[in-house]
Amino acid sequence: MVKSLELEVQSAMKDEHVIEMLDSVPFGSLSKEQLTVVESHGQVCVSCSNAYRTAILASAVMKERLQSAVEPPPFFETRVLAGLREQQAVENVPALVRLWKSAGALVSSMAVATVALAAFSFAVPSALTPVSDQTASAYSAESVILDQSGDDQMTYEQVLSTMYSDDDEAK
Amino acid sequence: MARQAQAGDESAFAEIVRRYSPRVFSVASRFFRQRSSVEEAAQEVFLKAFTQLKSFEGRGSLEGWLTRIATNTCLNILRSAKRRPELTVSDLTEDENKWLDDQLTNVASEPKHSVEQHVIAADLADRVLAVLPPEDQLALLMIDGEDASVKEVSEATGWSESKVKVRAFRARKKIREAMEKLLSGNGKEPRIGGAIGNER
Repeated sequence: MVKSLELEVQSAMKDEHVIEMLDSVPFGSLSKEQLTVVESHGQVCVSCSNAYRTAILASAVMKERLQSAVEPPPFFETRVLAGLREQQAVENVPALVRLWKSAGALVSSMAVATVALAAFSFAVPSALTPVSDQTASAYSAESVILDQSGDDQMTYEQVLSTMYSDDDEAK
Repeated sequence: MARQAQAGDESAFAEIVRRYSPRVFSVASRFFRQRSSVEEAAQEVFLKAFTQLKSFEGRGSLEGWLTRIATNTCLNILRSAKRRPELTVSDLTEDENKWLDDQLTNVASEPKHSVEQHVIAADLADRVLAVLPPEDQLALLMIDGEDASVKEVSEATGWSESKVKVRAFRARKKIREAMEKLLSGNGKEPRIGGAIGNER
């Protein structure tokens, strides 16, 4: 009679997985009876056995994690008050001044660069290198490309006279 | 004291910091392990508390009010620096393997650990907990690690009790799965209670 009852209980335990129970309450709060049920079921169910094993480890790991609480250092309040004064000092400065403090260097350097570029573009070239209109037109792109019959090309007669005048001089 | 601090009395605020910094540090230690991170978070908590002192009406305790600010500040810091690395098999060192084995072989009795083993376990805990969102980490650490009640977590965070329960349930499941992945990757399949392996 007792044996058949035990078998019935065992059968019921086998049917009901215990993973849900392990996930719904902290492992440390499981009662002895609940642990017995979990272990009995674990004997016949690999997934629940693994869940039980990992629940033990997870619980142990978490307890260990909380073992090392950091204590406040001495004079911590002094540091907090210093931080507070720093924060208040920042808040008391007007917004435009704060903006200038953070972006002032960048804005100044940009302004200097713009002025320098303007000076080089407009003032310096005209002062240092005056270019005559004639020179400019002689070597303009249009004249180079379109004016194929250049002025410095010699005629046939000029070539002959140059050649024979040299011979005459030699005689 | 809170009223004096509200009126801008710095020495009263310094007294508040002195009195409640252990509590704030304890809250910040749940989230961070590095001393410098805990101190930074605690300082931010008190600076925030000072600016929000006017909103403290004195209905609840000052400690409870500060705990809530500390919890939310630490959650915000964690959220902004969020990076959840995927756990890999190679993450488990030999020392960690040994520590986990110790836990499984000494289920009934609490195994005694050296300082070095505490550090190993805390490192492992950090990496396993990193798979969870900060809110789930908090719920799990408070309920399962510190034996806090759902109501206490609800008061510290401002979440509803059902939200706390859901978060804790989800966190337990995720952390179990992460552990299982870690162990199965290392070929660890010890059977507790001698499971015979006929999975349903």
